[in-house]
Amino acid sequence: MILFFLTSGLFLGWSLGANDASNVFGSAVGSKMVTFRKAAIIASIAVILGAVFQGAGASETLGKLGGVNAIGGSFTLALAAAITVYVMTKFSLPVSTTQAIVGAIIGWNLFTGNKTDADTLSKIVVTWVSGPVLGALFAVLLYIIIIKIKKASRIHLIRFESFLRTGLIIVGAFGAYSLGANNIANVMGVFVPAFNLQELDLGLFTLSSSQQLFLLGGLAIAVGIITYSKKVMETIGGNIVELNSEAAIVVVLAQSLVLFIFSSSGLSNLFVKIGLPPIPMVPVSSSQVIVGCVIGIGLYKGARNINFKLLGEIGIGWIATPVMSGLLAFFSLFFVKNIFGIDVGYKIIGGAASGAVTATDPGISAIIRYLLLAVLITGLLVGIYYSLIERKKQKELKKSEDKFWHYLK
Amino acid sequence: MALFKRTTKDLIIRIDEFLDNIELGLLVFRESINSYIDKDMEAFSRHLQKVDTLEGNADRLQRMIENEMITHSILPQHREEVARLLDVLDEIIDTVKSSLNEFIIEMPEIPAALNKDIINLTEASVEAAEELIPAARAYFTTPYTVREKLLKVYYFESETDKIALNTKKRIFQEMKDIDLAHKAHLRYIIHHIENISDMAQKAADMLSAMAIKIVI
Repeated sequence: MILFFLTSGLFLGWSLGANDASNVFGSAVGSKMVTFRKAAIIASIAVILGAVFQGAGASETLGKLGGVNAIGGSFTLALAAAITVYVMTKFSLPVSTTQAIVGAIIGWNLFTGNKTDADTLSKIVVTWVSGPVLGALFAVLLYIIIIKIKKASRIHLIRFESFLRTGLIIVGAFGAYSLGANNIANVMGVFVPAFNLQELDLGLFTLSSSQQLFLLGGLAIAVGIITYSKKVMETIGGNIVELNSEAAIVVVLAQSLVLFIFSSSGLSNLFVKIGLPPIPMVPVSSSQVIVGCVIGIGLYKGARNINFKLLGEIGIGWIATPVMSGLLAFFSLFFVKNIFGIDVGYKIIGGAASGAVTATDPGISAIIRYLLLAVLITGLLVGIYYSLIERKKQKELKKSEDKFWHYLK
Repeated sequence: MALFKRTTKDLIIRIDEFLDNIELGLLVFRESINSYIDKDMEAFSRHLQKVDTLEGNADRLQRMIENEMITHSILPQHREEVARLLDVLDEIIDTVKSSLNEFIIEMPEIPAALNKDIINLTEASVEAAEELIPAARAYFTTPYTVREKLLKVYYFESETDKIALNTKKRIFQEMKDIDLAHKAHLRYIIHHIENISDMAQKAADMLSAMAIKIVI
C-alpha cells in the first residue's frame, strides 16, 4: 500500500524525464551530433546520481514551504501536480513541474490550516524570475568566450565540431546531473517528510531515507527519458539548434549552471564563507531557464524580434500553474480525506509535525536494494548487447567497403 | 568519444589531400596545354596519365570522406553542403581530364598565331580554379575570409571570358585562311578550356553561400 502512494510521485518523475531531458540533450540529439541511445544512457545515469547525491537542498526548501506529514497527503499533492502538468501540456500551455508542486503544497497548507512560510515562498518565486535572467547572463558570457576562442584559434571546422560533440556529451551529463539534483525535489520532495525508511547500506556508501526516495524518483525520471523523450528531443530540441552549434552548447551549459547553482549547498556555503548571502536551494524550471538563455543570446546577436508572446505565456504560467494546481490539490485532499477516509496530514504546531503519519516499512528498503541490483544487471546486459551489435555493424560496413574497392579495381 | 578517435584527424587529412589532388590536377593541365602547343606529345601523354591518376585519387578520397562523415555523423548540419562542394570540386578535375582526352582524341590543329591566346586562356581559366582551393581550405578554418578569397575567382573567370571572346572573334573574323570546320573545332576546344573557370565560378557561388551560413 505504501508503495502505491508513491506512484503519483513516480508518474510525475516519469513525465519530468520525458519532457525535461530534451532541455539537456535536445540540441545534441536534434542536430544528430549525439545519438539518442547515447544521450538517454548518459542522461539516465547522471540524473540518478544528481538526485541521490545532491537532491537534498532544493527538497529541504519545499519541506519548509509545507512539511506534508501524511503519506496520503504526499500522494494527493503529487497527483494534483501531475494532473496540472498533464492538462496544461495537453492544451499547449507552458507549464513547469516546479510551479505545479509549489501550488499543490500551498493548497495542502490551506487545507490543513498550516501557515505558508512567506519567506520561503518569496524566495522560491524570486528564483523563478532570477533563474531565466541568470541563464541569459551566463549564456551571453559563455557565448562571447566561445566565439572569441574559436576565432583566435583558427581551429578546423571538423576538429571544432569534434570538440563540440564531446562538449555536448560532457555538458549534457552535467545538465542531467543538475536536473536530477534540482528537480528531484518536485518529484519526491513532498514524500520526504512523510517517509522514514531504514538506512540502506550498499557497501561503498549508505543511502538515507530521503536518498532512497530520490533514487526511486531518479529511476522514474530515467524511465521517462528512455521511454518517451526521444520524440520530444527530436522535435523540441530542433528548435534550440536553429541558433547554431556554438549557441546550442552554450544554452545547455548556462542552463545546467543555473540548475546546479540553485541546488548546490556546497556552493551556497562557500558564498556564506566569503561574506556573500547564501544561494537559495530552490527547484527551478529548466524549460524557463532555457528560454532565458535563448533570449539572452538573441539579444546579444542583435535580434529585434524577441518573442514577447512566449515571455507573456511564461509570466502567465507563473501564476496560472500554481493557482490551478493549488485548487486541484485542495479539492483532491478534501475528497481523499472525506470520501476515502485516508489521512492527508495535520496542522504543524510549534514547528513539530504533531501526529505525523510517517511510513516506516522496512520492506521498501529491501525492494530498493533488489531494484538497484536488477537495474545494474539489466544495464550491463543491454550495454553488452548494444556493443556487440555495434561491432557487428562496423565489421559489415568495412567488409562492404573493401568489396566495393576490390571490384572497382 | 569523437575527440579521442583518429577519425577527426584522418578526415581533416583526407580533405586536405583531396584539395591537393585538385590543385595538382590544375597545375598538370596547364603544363599539358603548354606541351601540346610545343607539340611535345610525349610530355602531353605523361601529363594525361598523371591527371588520370589524380582524378582517380580524388574520386576515392571523395567517397571515403563522404562515407566517414555519414558513418561517424560528422558535421551533421553542414554535411550535405560539404559533400556537394566536394562533388563540384571533383567535377573540375573531371573536366580537366575530359578536356585533355578531347585533345588527345581530336588532336586539334592550333594555328601558331593563336598559341599565345590559347596559353593565356588556359592560364586565366586555371588561375580561376586555383584561387578556389585556398578559399575552400579557408571554409574549414577561417570561414570569414572565404568571400574575400573568392573575389580572385570571379576576377579570373571574367578574364577568361574576355580572352575566350577575343580569341573566338579573331578566329572567325580575322583568320580568313582556315576553313569553317577548323574554326568550329577551335571554338569547341576554347569552350573546353573555358569550362574550367565556369566550374570554378559555380563552386565559388556555392562556397560563398556556405561561408555566410557558417559565419552567421
